[in-house]
Amino acid sequence: MTSLLRVDGLTKHFPVSHGVFSSRLGGSVKAVDGISFAIGRGETLGLVGESGCGKSTTGRCINRLHEPSSGSIEFDGTDVRRLRGRRLKAFRRDVQFIFQDPYASLNPRMTFGEIMAEPLVIHGIGSRRERQEQAKDMLKTVGLNPEHIHRYPHEFSGGQRQRVGIARALMLRPKMIICDEPVSALDVSIQAQIINLLEELQEEFGLTYLFIAHDLAVVRHICDRVAVMYLGKIVELGGWREVYNAPHHPYTQSLLSAVPVPDPEKQRQRARIILRGDVPSPVDPPSGCRFHTRCPIAQFPICREQEPPLEGKTGGQMAACHFAKPFPIPEDRMLGGE
Amino acid sequence: MPPLLEVDDLHMHFFTRDGVVKAVDGVSFTLEHGQTLGVVGESGSGKSVTALSIMRLIPEPPGKVVKGDIRFKGESILAMSEREQRGLRGNRIAMIFQDPMTSLNPVHRVGRQIAEPLRLHKDMDRKAAWAAAVELLAEVGIPQARERARGYPHEFSGGMRQRAMIAMALACGPDILIADEPTTALDVTIQAQILELMQEIQQRTKSAIILITHDLGVVADMADNILVMYGGKAVEFGAADDVFYRPLHPYTWGLLESLPRHDVDDKGALSPIKGQPPSLINLPPGCSFAPRCAYATRSCGDEQAGLVEMEPGHFSSCRFAGDAGFLAQFENRSSYLSDYAQRDSQ
Amino acid sequence: MPILGPEGKGRTLRADAWRRLLKNKLAVAGLIWIVLVVIVAVSADLWVPRYLGDPISIDTTTAAERSLQPPSPAHPFGTDQLGRDTASRVIYGARVSLLVGVVAVAIMVMVGLVAGAVAAYYGGWWDAIIMRAADVFFAFPYVLFAIVLLALLGGGVQNVFIAIGILGWPSIARLFRSSILSVKEMEYVDAARAMGAPAWRILARHIMPNAVSPIIVYATMSIGGAILTEAALSYLGMGVQLPSPSWGNMLADAGSFMFSAPWLMIYPGIAIVTTVLAFVLLGDGLRDALDVKLKD
Repeated sequence: MTSLLRVDGLTKHFPVSHGVFSSRLGGSVKAVDGISFAIGRGETLGLVGESGCGKSTTGRCINRLHEPSSGSIEFDGTDVRRLRGRRLKAFRRDVQFIFQDPYASLNPRMTFGEIMAEPLVIHGIGSRRERQEQAKDMLKTVGLNPEHIHRYPHEFSGGQRQRVGIARALMLRPKMIICDEPVSALDVSIQAQIINLLEELQEEFGLTYLFIAHDLAVVRHICDRVAVMYLGKIVELGGWREVYNAPHHPYTQSLLSAVPVPDPEKQRQRARIILRGDVPSPVDPPSGCRFHTRCPIAQFPICREQEPPLEGKTGGQMAACHFAKPFPIPEDRMLGGE
Repeated sequence: MPPLLEVDDLHMHFFTRDGVVKAVDGVSFTLEHGQTLGVVGESGSGKSVTALSIMRLIPEPPGKVVKGDIRFKGESILAMSEREQRGLRGNRIAMIFQDPMTSLNPVHRVGRQIAEPLRLHKDMDRKAAWAAAVELLAEVGIPQARERARGYPHEFSGGMRQRAMIAMALACGPDILIADEPTTALDVTIQAQILELMQEIQQRTKSAIILITHDLGVVADMADNILVMYGGKAVEFGAADDVFYRPLHPYTWGLLESLPRHDVDDKGALSPIKGQPPSLINLPPGCSFAPRCAYATRSCGDEQAGLVEMEPGHFSSCRFAGDAGFLAQFENRSSYLSDYAQRDSQ
Repeated sequence: MPILGPEGKGRTLRADAWRRLLKNKLAVAGLIWIVLVVIVAVSADLWVPRYLGDPISIDTTTAAERSLQPPSPAHPFGTDQLGRDTASRVIYGARVSLLVGVVAVAIMVMVGLVAGAVAAYYGGWWDAIIMRAADVFFAFPYVLFAIVLLALLGGGVQNVFIAIGILGWPSIARLFRSSILSVKEMEYVDAARAMGAPAWRILARHIMPNAVSPIIVYATMSIGGAILTEAALSYLGMGVQLPSPSWGNMLADAGSFMFSAPWLMIYPGIAIVTTVLAFVLLGDGLRDALDVKLKD
């Protein structure tokens, strides 16, 4: 499987600025601090982590909503960072974005029809009538009534608006879609609808997904491979089965054990790793391994002094830890399979 | 002995210009000391309004309890004077809210906010209350409590703010702690800490907890009993194990079914509940879930009876819940039950 | 919970906003008053001189006996010391006030919108310069500044527009800038960028329509403010010059007759208060009507 997207050493630092005339003082928020991964054609890669880990920023750097500070991004053989003008615009046809908030991601003053036709208008595709037809078709495809093209977002629920957001992303027939927490703002009973929709669409349109989320159960369901981020770095990367059943990195293990499972019996029997303390600030991340301040297996001085590289461990898994071992979590304790 | 808290067929409606919003339209449950009740529902289910009604924090107008009662230790809260209700709030029944960013007053020191209920209800003087506040902060796991008590909310992280809120709620040793989505805004690892803290506190103080959430995992972790709400109505109530493993309402089935499976390797399509949550102004007559229910019949549009006890301690508002044939439909589909049944038979 | 609209025609935002506005009784009262004043003022030439009397010219033959008459059927607001009908003068004064209100605010809004947009969209140095300039204007007491400007420009109605317009732009600029900045953060703006929309399209299609509602509200209320300012300036003799009537100069004129002929002061005063209040109430109602949380 050839890689559709290849990211190498991506960093994004946001300067912290003060001053009357916006002069730069102070440090920077190291939102993404050197990550590398690849996504194959037709694959779904999950990017998980807690707030401040940099997953959303990563997504936005890939389609250049944010300009990366350094590193390389290669999409379908093209150097994304070098793109300008017309070629950048053409790139935008290939890589689309689905946003988290169905209330904020649609312009409240545009009808559904206008919202969906906009990508076509921007790229000069089709006549007015053709665009309307396509918008209607796409509404149908995502399970909405095509007559709704004349209606406004505020008349609809979150789930329906999110469908329109998805429809909009598909209008240009992209190769890849970056989904930034696409179901987090939705009710549980609607989440399942949208997840199914995303999977069907992936099949129908041959899409590749970068799926950014914090809900581990959802990620497990929809993703082929999973990358776990912590404070701007990828700490674990591998196939979903391996990451969920036999995670190597202690953060992954803690994360998995912290997620409550909707099964009272299993919950009672699980032994949990409860991490102490708060997530450190991305302005001033810990030295060495960033996780060492909360890690249950940290050993000093090495963990405080040397940052572990993300490298292959057993079974093709990659983890960034000096002491990573596969910890197959016992049946009654894990989020994974039985 | 009357139950610690009894909510009896509560109907809380809002009379607005656009119509009557039937936010809570028939909710009943009981709560005893040391128990945790998980109230589960999606947005618009009425779970938050129920909690606020217990605290008498709903402005009236536009809200109004049109039917039903809430009794604390046998005495009706609704019949109490404003003064008596204030005496309960923060003192015998305390509440913690979802968003720790906004539920603490940013211009007062944290220690002072925790001391406030003590000064109000226990008549403590400033020094004694402050000292008690520092102790409470330490109890909820905030390191260097003495210094941190002098800090302001913006100096605290989300998890710590929520701990501070818990300290504030616990200050007067309440009988009931109502937690409205206490961990929804927090990261998963912080959520685990807060839930562990709540359990530990409950062990120590034997207070009852009403935990409101949409997260079935949290409820499985914490709740002894579960109340499932939909469209302002209570649809199921029972022990946690009963509700998860032998659910008696199609909505509960639907919710459990639609969760991404964590125990099945084959990742087939999810089974969502079709349709949208209802508008609380235009609720359909009869069972509010009927429009989305895969098993609905014509009679579901008629007046419904509310929660009915189908098994000892296990209530459902579905009129077919007593029919074994009806229930078998779900049992065959759910892998939850096959596990449980297997375990049982071993 | 979302309240779905009726099937068929979508409920446009404008219709929704109208509905909300019309439910606000005070705003509707303000709107009705304003419409009334406008109609009366605009149509004045058609009926006022005939039925009430000319506002400016003095009929020397009858002036003496007609002067300082209290209100009567022939002269509903009485007459002034030169025999002129007060009602007629009040109505013609309305023209001035409305004119100043609208034109001054138009100037203010045009300059303010551009300044605010540039500051918000380009940020950096532009933002700094424009906002600091605005700060300078804010540092001066408004009316004093107006008087100085008028002293430099000379009196007269045109210069009043300009003075008020110049003084008012910073508020609009600041308001518009913050409105744009918050709209810029909205995800639908990101979505437009992610589609490849060029900057001008994002501004025109996404940012402007959504950022402009607070300006509509503020502008409406500013008309009231401008009317008040004009009245003040004319009162001080710097605006409209006698004998042309303006509510402000009528008040000044009426000063010496405060006790002997109170109607000379009362009616222009009422006119000012009610009209300014009408604009403020309308603006307030607009704020509620437009500033809806489109997510419920």
